[in-house]
Amino acid sequence: MTDTRRMLAEMADPLFAELGASATFERDWSRVEELGLPQLLLPEAEGGFGGNWEDALVVFRLAGFHALSLPLPEAIIATRADAGSEEHFLIGAFMRTAQIAGALDAALGLSVSYVNERQQFGRQLGKFQAVQQSLASFACEAAAANCAAVGAAQALDRGDARFEVAAAKLRANRAVGIGATVAHQVHGAIGFTHEYPLHHLTRSLWKWRSDFGNDSHWSAVLGEAVIAQGADAFWPALVERTDRAA
Amino acid sequence: MQTFVTEAIEWPESAPALRRKVRDLVDAHGEKDPVRRANCWTKADPEFSRKLGEAGLLGMTWPKEYGGHEMSQLERYVVIEELLAAGAPVGAHWIADRQSGPLLLRLGNEELKRRWVPGMARGEIFACIGLSEPNSGSDLASVRTSARRDGDEWVINGQKVWTTGAHVAHMMIALVRSEAGSERQAGLSQFVIPMDAPGVTVKPIIDLTGAHEFNEVFFEDVRLPASALLGEEGNGWKQATAELSLERSGPERYLSSMVLFLELVRYAGKHPDPAVTQLVGRLAAEAWTLRLMSASVAAKLARREDPALEATIVKDLGNSYEHAIPELVQACVEMDMASKDALAAVTGYLLQVSPSFSLRGGTREILKGIIARGLGLR
Ligand SMILES: Cc1cc2nc3c(=O)[nH]c(=O)nc-3n(C[C@H](O)[C@H](O)[C@H](O)COP(=O)(O)OP(=O)(O)OC[C@H]3O[C@@H](n4cnc5c(N)ncnc54)[C@H](O)[C@@H]3O)c2cc1C
Repeated sequence: MTDTRRMLAEMADPLFAELGASATFERDWSRVEELGLPQLLLPEAEGGFGGNWEDALVVFRLAGFHALSLPLPEAIIATRADAGSEEHFLIGAFMRTAQIAGALDAALGLSVSYVNERQQFGRQLGKFQAVQQSLASFACEAAAANCAAVGAAQALDRGDARFEVAAAKLRANRAVGIGATVAHQVHGAIGFTHEYPLHHLTRSLWKWRSDFGNDSHWSAVLGEAVIAQGADAFWPALVERTDRAA
Repeated sequence: MQTFVTEAIEWPESAPALRRKVRDLVDAHGEKDPVRRANCWTKADPEFSRKLGEAGLLGMTWPKEYGGHEMSQLERYVVIEELLAAGAPVGAHWIADRQSGPLLLRLGNEELKRRWVPGMARGEIFACIGLSEPNSGSDLASVRTSARRDGDEWVINGQKVWTTGAHVAHMMIALVRSEAGSERQAGLSQFVIPMDAPGVTVKPIIDLTGAHEFNEVFFEDVRLPASALLGEEGNGWKQATAELSLERSGPERYLSSMVLFLELVRYAGKHPDPAVTQLVGRLAAEAWTLRLMSASVAAKLARREDPALEATIVKDLGNSYEHAIPELVQACVEMDMASKDALAAVTGYLLQVSPSFSLRGGTREILKGIIARGLGLR
């Protein structure tokens, strides 16, 4: 991680943790403004932070992780494109991908701590192989969503990222299903309560899956692009996109 | 909780040139049959392996002193993903290049390194993995093949099974019990066994497609010099599990069905259908993600970090993906499975071999157990 990104994380993490799902715009917006976070992507000459998409990923991911109920990610992308434009739709999809990645990691962490504490049949739930296997599947999905988000951010920083953002949003959307299902399953009834924090994550995850393109939207977009390119071009094109980064 | 931290990968500047070199070699070798190109890393073709060796594309990261080319891990990664995506028959040298060579270089004494490694880099010496036994599959710590000391020599007795390529291999790195009466992970050692040593017998096992890829291997009073011990006596368990990281991390763990995906794209170009288009999109998204994940593991290996957990995650997701492709294609496209049509032929072939994807290199259940340990659940 670069120093800027580490600094951003050190700034955003405790603040988002404190504000989390109980933040209100009226009371708390000034706190994120003080740190200059809404101007993250604006060049320094325009009074912004001069960040790139990988920097934005850090903030979006943490917003998802802490279920931050402030429209900070939305404000950040609004400095780059007008709502309703094609560009805005694409970066919106990236924003949701990053938030999904963060929220999945948080739900996984919550689930693992819970099964390590809760006892049934005289032992911790986490000691049951069936429970372990479900959580391992969840971990794989969370890993895939996180990796996809990083890949999309890197592509955005390189330039044309239509392929990568489409692929990443689609992959993250698919991870939501398994992640939310396993998280609720291992929590039993407590996870279904208003009092327990899991729903702040899972209700967002279910919503974000539809925002800026659902599975069928992105699979059609990607499928059409890949088919138009032709079978023999698929692999060379895929690898050329990263080779160009060198 | 973050189980898979991804950093930007510094792709080598030489990548485009390396890719071109591989593509030209594969084209010149001329394997066009899509069924032969699917699951290609199990297809042994010694002549092709020698050609790769001549071209300097084997043992790429190994020291020049032992026939290697001192290139970077990611340059090697570029070459192997190109070979697999092209469906090249790399099975003969695959195990030597991926794990036995690196293992010998890391742990082998001078005699072992000189004897085996340069030939591996030339694509002339092939290796096989002697882990599984009839009663030791998932429960690998229960191996019973024994090594008994007799003066300056070791005497091996017992049996290995499911040994891929034992019939083309020149050597095996075997995990055996070197301390009589020891239990579980203790008292195990690794030995390098020449496949032509007296007392070694290889018997073919024919798989459900009728192909001969794996074998039973019997050891009857096989005498080895003291120098055949690899690494430290009694440290075999640790050495073998570190080896498994190399075995699990590569792009072969998600690319076995790539040829079928490409056939699906070809079909979709001729038969527009929204359901097929969406399936292509889903599979492309997954391939892109898995490639990133798999390359991140390679980048970690290059930084000399231990990516055992990440490698396990990639193998598990990769196996599920390559396993799902034939199922999804069959469910989405009407086809006559008896026809010679490429799409049907590759689907049929992959349906039959796909049960092996989540067995070879560790079963799905065992991998999930390793991931659960990584999550702190065991
Ligand atoms: C194509 C192919 C190539 C191979 N090549 C090699 C090779 O070159 N060298 C080599 O040494 N081996 C090789 N193997 C063997 C492979 O590593 C083993 O098949 C594998 O480790 C599983 O062992 P097993 O077949 O004995 O199954 P078993 O251990 O009998 O397991 C059967 C089933 O039970 C499940 N199971 C077992 N224990 C548990 C548990 N504790 N919890 C939950 N589920 C459990 C397993 O996951 C599996 O699904 C190869 C296998 C295949 C299919």
